[in-house]
Amino acid sequence: MAALQTSAPPAPSRGQARPRAKNKRTLGQRLRHDWPLLLLTLPALAQLAVFFYWPSAWNIIAFMDYSPHRPFWENPFVGFAWFERLFANPYFMPALLNTLKYAFANLLFLFPLSIVLALVMHSVISTKIRSAFQSVVYLPYFFSWVLVVTVFVQTLGSDGLVSNWILGFGGERLTFMSDPDSFLFLAWLQWAWKDAGWGMIIFLAALASINPSLYEAAAVDGASRWRRMWHITLPGIRPVIVLLLILHIGGILNVGFEQYQLQRNAVGYQTTEVLDTFVYYRSVIGTEGPSFGTAAGLFKGVIGLVLVLIANNVAHRLGEQGIYQKS
Amino acid sequence: MTATDIKLKPAKKNARPVWDEEPSFVGKAVKALFLICYAAAIVLPIWAVVATSFASEEALARAGGNLLLIPTDLSLQAYQEIFDGGALTRSLILTIGLTAGGTALSMVLTIGAAYGLSRPGSLLHRPLLMLVLFTFLFAPGLYPSFLVVQKLGMFDSYLSLVLPMALNAFNLIVLRSFFMNSVPTELIDAARMDGAGEFRTLFKIVLPMSKAILAVIALFYAVGYWNIYFSAVLYIPGLETQPIQVVLQRMLMSTQGLPGAAADVSQYQTQAPDSALKMAVVVCTIVPIVIMYPFIQKHFTKAVITGAIKG
Repeated sequence: MAALQTSAPPAPSRGQARPRAKNKRTLGQRLRHDWPLLLLTLPALAQLAVFFYWPSAWNIIAFMDYSPHRPFWENPFVGFAWFERLFANPYFMPALLNTLKYAFANLLFLFPLSIVLALVMHSVISTKIRSAFQSVVYLPYFFSWVLVVTVFVQTLGSDGLVSNWILGFGGERLTFMSDPDSFLFLAWLQWAWKDAGWGMIIFLAALASINPSLYEAAAVDGASRWRRMWHITLPGIRPVIVLLLILHIGGILNVGFEQYQLQRNAVGYQTTEVLDTFVYYRSVIGTEGPSFGTAAGLFKGVIGLVLVLIANNVAHRLGEQGIYQKS
Repeated sequence: MTATDIKLKPAKKNARPVWDEEPSFVGKAVKALFLICYAAAIVLPIWAVVATSFASEEALARAGGNLLLIPTDLSLQAYQEIFDGGALTRSLILTIGLTAGGTALSMVLTIGAAYGLSRPGSLLHRPLLMLVLFTFLFAPGLYPSFLVVQKLGMFDSYLSLVLPMALNAFNLIVLRSFFMNSVPTELIDAARMDGAGEFRTLFKIVLPMSKAILAVIALFYAVGYWNIYFSAVLYIPGLETQPIQVVLQRMLMSTQGLPGAAADVSQYQTQAPDSALKMAVVVCTIVPIVIMYPFIQKHFTKAVITGAIKG
């Protein structure tokens, strides 16, 4: 979530304080001076090397006819054959389209809800109500998807609490939790329940950083409540909105695995298949083999990389800071 | 400081500023209704879960459903079964162990690297930082990660739940910028003058000044380990004792009447009513989060926002 101060922050005082002459010291001198810092960094780097860079390098098997049963160098290179096979797979395109559908739905429906929540909260003056409400609404952000889906099944499922009430009034059971046609709505309800409060916190913080004297000046000049919101509040939180949008777009193919896998049996795989579940069910526990699954993952990773770079570039053009600065 | 910055003491705490017009009654009512409905939509299901976990079989049968809003005759049967030393108890102990051990390891890695990378100009500073930042741009993918876990011989070993997710680069960068921007340079220079080495400076000066943000980062890690589900499905399908989220998922599948889980679940079920037992497991997974929550919340927005807005 949230933004990363990716490039070295501009002009940190400690960095500037370091005189230029020090850089002329020999490697041995620098090593003697800086070894504790390197030692402290080492465990984290080792973790990254083993669990990020090593698997990243393994992506090479997407271009090989890889079999775990022969030595690595005996696996022949096959170019883009696995990618051709991937696109020819009848389940791949639906999975990709589902991924994009859920990602954009999340963007379109969850963002505005978080912003509206934050605007309403911001206009509440009593700090007691504000803090009580805040602590309630972002609690589910920390719940696991298993928990969220369980709570949903128990309340809105066909045997759940609400069904029971409806039965009591002579109606029929709710079946929308197992209906593929309403899965998008269900997914939205789940995002809203789990994540909207968290989004609200981020936007509230952005709202709090707007200088209140702007509002006062506008009010004195006769701007109405709505005009103040339009001309001060929304421009004030624009950087945060842009930033979160970029982060979301970069991770747009990362819609997650758990929410879809958990409801796969109830709703059916056609609706819930996203790229991650596709890799898991077709390759990890399926019959398509390592190279196929790796090709699907690499496709996702590369698209994600390109999207982050494009989104960030657009943000710079719009005059926003983005996630990393040009350097 | 200009004249406008001087704050006049408001007559009443939380008073509306004088220039702001009073909103209409309808506006206020709509707003209040919206907030109340939203909060109720979040609280009521959680409340129903807690109430049901204490319900007896008769109460559940009378209500005719899976979930109750008002528990009538309370029963602790479900909880007795969770803590009776059986499969559920083992699962809870495992999850607590993973959370404690994993969080400790993660904090060591994160603090070390955040401090080690907080000195621009130190040896290899830029390339090492780039190695960390690149993890934001690319993801190695599911299958290669799975393959590496297999190659390391960690498949069907609890290590595979902790080590692959031990470092979160985002936490590292947030902590690093806190060390760089919020711990006064003068203090560190003074410590250096007094002859303190890097380790002494870190433990005696930097860490004590960063307690709030460390607590928040530890919470994030702990929640991550507590909620482990996918890695368990992926990496330890063969082990008998599974993290609590996996157990909960199996129970959920069984009550949905879906194939594939019924056999697995029999080991968890005995006397208590089905729904009550399941809801008691849900309560057990919520309680640690709710306990940590108010303690952390004080520092929460502040720390998260330092990370979020500064970028």
